[in-house]
Amino acid sequence: MKARLILASVIVPLGLIIAAIPENTTKPYRLTADQLLDEVKEELQFVHPDQIADMLIQKDPTLQLIDVRSRAEFEKFSLPGAINVPIESLLDAEYTDYLNQDVKMNVFYSNSSNKANQAWMITRQLGYRNNYVLQGGLNYWVETIMNPEMPAQTSPNEEFAKYDFRKGAGAALGGGAIVPATSTQEAPAALPPVTKTKKKKRVQGGC
Amino acid sequence: MGPLIVNEIISPNTNFLIAFFIGIAFGFILEQNGFSSSRRLAGMFYGYDTTVLKVFFTAAITGGLALLFMSLFGWIDLSYIYINPTFLWSAIGGGVIMGAGFIMGGYCPGTSFCAAAIGKIDALAFIGGIFIGIFAFAEGYPLWESFYKAEFMGSPLLSDWLGLSRGVLMLLIILVALAMFWVGEWAEKKFARKDYTINQR
Repeated sequence: MKARLILASVIVPLGLIIAAIPENTTKPYRLTADQLLDEVKEELQFVHPDQIADMLIQKDPTLQLIDVRSRAEFEKFSLPGAINVPIESLLDAEYTDYLNQDVKMNVFYSNSSNKANQAWMITRQLGYRNNYVLQGGLNYWVETIMNPEMPAQTSPNEEFAKYDFRKGAGAALGGGAIVPATSTQEAPAALPPVTKTKKKKRVQGGC
Repeated sequence: MGPLIVNEIISPNTNFLIAFFIGIAFGFILEQNGFSSSRRLAGMFYGYDTTVLKVFFTAAITGGLALLFMSLFGWIDLSYIYINPTFLWSAIGGGVIMGAGFIMGGYCPGTSFCAAAIGKIDALAFIGGIFIGIFAFAEGYPLWESFYKAEFMGSPLLSDWLGLSRGVLMLLIILVALAMFWVGEWAEKKFARKDYTINQR
């Protein structure tokens, strides 16, 4: 009988405690501060404007741009196809389906990359995947895609190809007019806007 | 922090290893509680031995309390705990078949392996029956598929259904369990059998 009394006198108070205490509804963070710092240092979350411009021109359906600035700023200017999720309402239930998904590649952007990085860190800690940040934000976007700087005449050809691509992309996405950068000794003047600088692909193993 | 697998703290292979050891411990404890005796198991239905009720409810209370406290301390995220989905009719049908088999055979599936491990012939016959049942179910699946999948209810929780918090429900279960233990021990005396002496104090 004694064992039964001991059991009851342990279990019942524990039950009373658990009944009296509110449920723990906090969401634990997935990464420790160190792990998150490592990821931030690696800068794997950044996507270069060139890649975004390329995806926009190709009308890549997997790209989902997310503007984390305020609604007023979003209405004034936004990238094509972007949706507005102001950072204040990042955790609202209506946006969860956009942020926590496995299909699209979400790219956060703000004027610089600060707010976008904050949004990325929060979603990363919630365990959401496929979220990225536009490198340098809209400022860098304008600098590279909308008003690309003409490379020096002595630059290697890759620089000119990149410049031409950016110029074309900028024009296609609503920037300045096309002014071919290629110097006179280069044969074709104006590249069509959709031309893509081909990335060198390594030969994948034969077997 | 927990669950360990979901948060990738341990790999699925480590998980199998841990499951292996937990399985051995489970079997050992069943055997130590005399669950390899079909008379003890059947005693539950006749009232002369309610060890089954006491052991399983103690385990459920311990597990439930531990999960709630671990959640309170932030050691486990309860939203990642897998909850078996409920198909109402197959749950009822399965319960009836299992209960009938339990009374007639004197084992439930887990304890039959436990008893077979200590060499009981009737347990081997019981296991043979399990495999025949599995085979018949699998081969005749199209016949009872509609029954099997009827009344899908998702993963309902008793606490949500009653509108109680998990903690209050846990307290209720503890009180109900202690009351059942008390009734069970009363029944053991009331329905005691002269030819049955395991655990009769």
